[in-house]
Amino acid sequence: MSEYKLQGSMTATRRRGRRGVSPALRGERSVLRGIGVALLWLVVAISIAALVWMVAQAFRDTRDILDDPWHVPSSLDFGNFVRAWTVGDFAVATWNSLMTTVVSSVLTVAIAAPCSYYLSRVDNRLTRGLSLYFILGLGIPAQVILIPLFVMLNKVYLTDSIIGLNLVYIGVSMPFTVFLLTAFFRSLPLEMEEAAALDGTTAFGTFWRITLPLAKGGILTAFILQVISHWNETLLALTLLQSTEKYTLPVALISFVQQQTYSGADWGGLFAGLVIVVLPMLIIYVWLGRRLTEGLTLGMGK
Amino acid sequence: MTLDVKEPRTDGAAAQSPGSRKAGPRKPQRGSRPGGSSIDAQRKKLLVPFVGPAFVLYTVLFIVPALGAVWISLHKWAGSGPMKFVGLDNYGRIFRDQLFLLSFGNTLLLLFVVGTAIFVLAFALTLVLRDMAGKKIARNVIFFPHLINALVFGVLAGFIFNPGGMVNSLLAPLGVTDPPKWLAQDNIFPLIMVTLVCTTTGYFTTILMAGVDRIPPYYYEDCALAGASAFQRLRYVILPLTWDVFGTCAVLWTISSVKIFEIVWVFGGSSGAGVPPTQSWTAAVYTYVNAFSGQSTPAYGAATASAVLSLALISVLVVLLRRAMRRDAVEF
Repeated sequence: MSEYKLQGSMTATRRRGRRGVSPALRGERSVLRGIGVALLWLVVAISIAALVWMVAQAFRDTRDILDDPWHVPSSLDFGNFVRAWTVGDFAVATWNSLMTTVVSSVLTVAIAAPCSYYLSRVDNRLTRGLSLYFILGLGIPAQVILIPLFVMLNKVYLTDSIIGLNLVYIGVSMPFTVFLLTAFFRSLPLEMEEAAALDGTTAFGTFWRITLPLAKGGILTAFILQVISHWNETLLALTLLQSTEKYTLPVALISFVQQQTYSGADWGGLFAGLVIVVLPMLIIYVWLGRRLTEGLTLGMGK
Repeated sequence: MTLDVKEPRTDGAAAQSPGSRKAGPRKPQRGSRPGGSSIDAQRKKLLVPFVGPAFVLYTVLFIVPALGAVWISLHKWAGSGPMKFVGLDNYGRIFRDQLFLLSFGNTLLLLFVVGTAIFVLAFALTLVLRDMAGKKIARNVIFFPHLINALVFGVLAGFIFNPGGMVNSLLAPLGVTDPPKWLAQDNIFPLIMVTLVCTTTGYFTTILMAGVDRIPPYYYEDCALAGASAFQRLRYVILPLTWDVFGTCAVLWTISSVKIFEIVWVFGGSSGAGVPPTQSWTAAVYTYVNAFSGQSTPAYGAATASAVLSLALISVLVVLLRRAMRRDAVEF
């Protein structure tokens, strides 16, 4: 409702503003603006069309796709998915990706949350130093740690292993998650914790029973952001996994693409693979996008 | 290498509504209050159980490898067998390596050329979106590509730009009978750049919009009363009040552009042995190929030297950006 009011007052402002502007400028601006708006909607339309098109192609035969890529499928043919699922090893890869994503994201948040809580509530030289130490990792690109990680994990037999990959994802996600959650915990009101402390709750009890429930929104946000980044992570997985039965989806997709240089293009299967990679993200975005917003504004709005 | 405290928050909030970008107070004096209550004392005891696991995992899996990279880059090493200390030799060697110079040049192109294009477009989009009807829908749609693995765009581009593909079939009725060879080795990199601009602009638009939406409407009313032109309003109201968001975006792009790997790796369906044509390599691809492609003896030293240089590039740019963007924050 306040949104409407805001927009209303803004349009009013604009009208008034226009009157004050010289006529020449006024004309130019509205034309430019009109073009901009039209272009923007064009981009939006193309984006949606591209997504729909991609999903549609996944239900068509490779020969049909190549003959006429502009068509929509005449019938729902799951052949591509079946082929990608069985021949392209996407079944195993999807399972691996799902496991890795869920396990590493849950653990990342579970490990980062207490740390962030501590860093946000205790303010001394040590915690300030630690916060800085965690920020440092945000600027380090993955290719820097690629080779040493491979060497290290190889020594302890954790290359080509889903467990190893999970560990790496947790470690690599620490800076961002700690950071996001520290900022979030800082924004939560202290009064409830103080009240709980007066009632004799232990420090851990306050964290567990007061702060965590209050921070649900922020923690959900952090979790979803990790899910998205772990689901799409490619470089580390490509380096650390070697055998087909360990591949995650992006790695399986790359190997599927590369097989085609030898076996001829199977665009139908490839489109099915792309849909398997993209669709979960779309579902999360459509389903949780708004809930996330609400969760965050509830926590941050104060 | 000190990033701003607010930066990652923006990233998080970018996925959310613009209104949610109210970060907490900067440095709240929390916890240690004079007189130190018992809960503070109790809390301090939680240091090891609370911070310990995160600290250990992060140190072992991130910081130690990063330091290890610097160490390896000072050695000649094929991954197994003895390491031979060669000092800064690897750095000298990669600077004489045509391939590395090409890859690093490409990374710089991505960073600056693509970066500039993204920023100009994102800002223009922000201004258009600001008071447009249906802006929420438009914003949500253009943000979505950020959630998709860049591999997908690389593969799709291979289909769309095929010799018999969709672009050529669109161009044919327009009288283009001899379309350029889109996926020729020399053309791939420019295509990658264009693709990146298309897929990344939406993300930065969302972040910038979060900044613009924070500006209270009475500033615009003030502008109208003072008779400011649209340009003046942009110059004296919108830009100064979103300056810090611009800084954040610049830092985010610097960090993410240096990592670009997967879209290059599969762009256009990739040729032959699975390694993309050298004309389109980036520094990250150079590192990966030199260490893991299995085509020649792995040169871990040179590969990590290239990675460490990327890190140095980021550090220098972030420091410069922070210096250049430093202004008195406008409180509103």
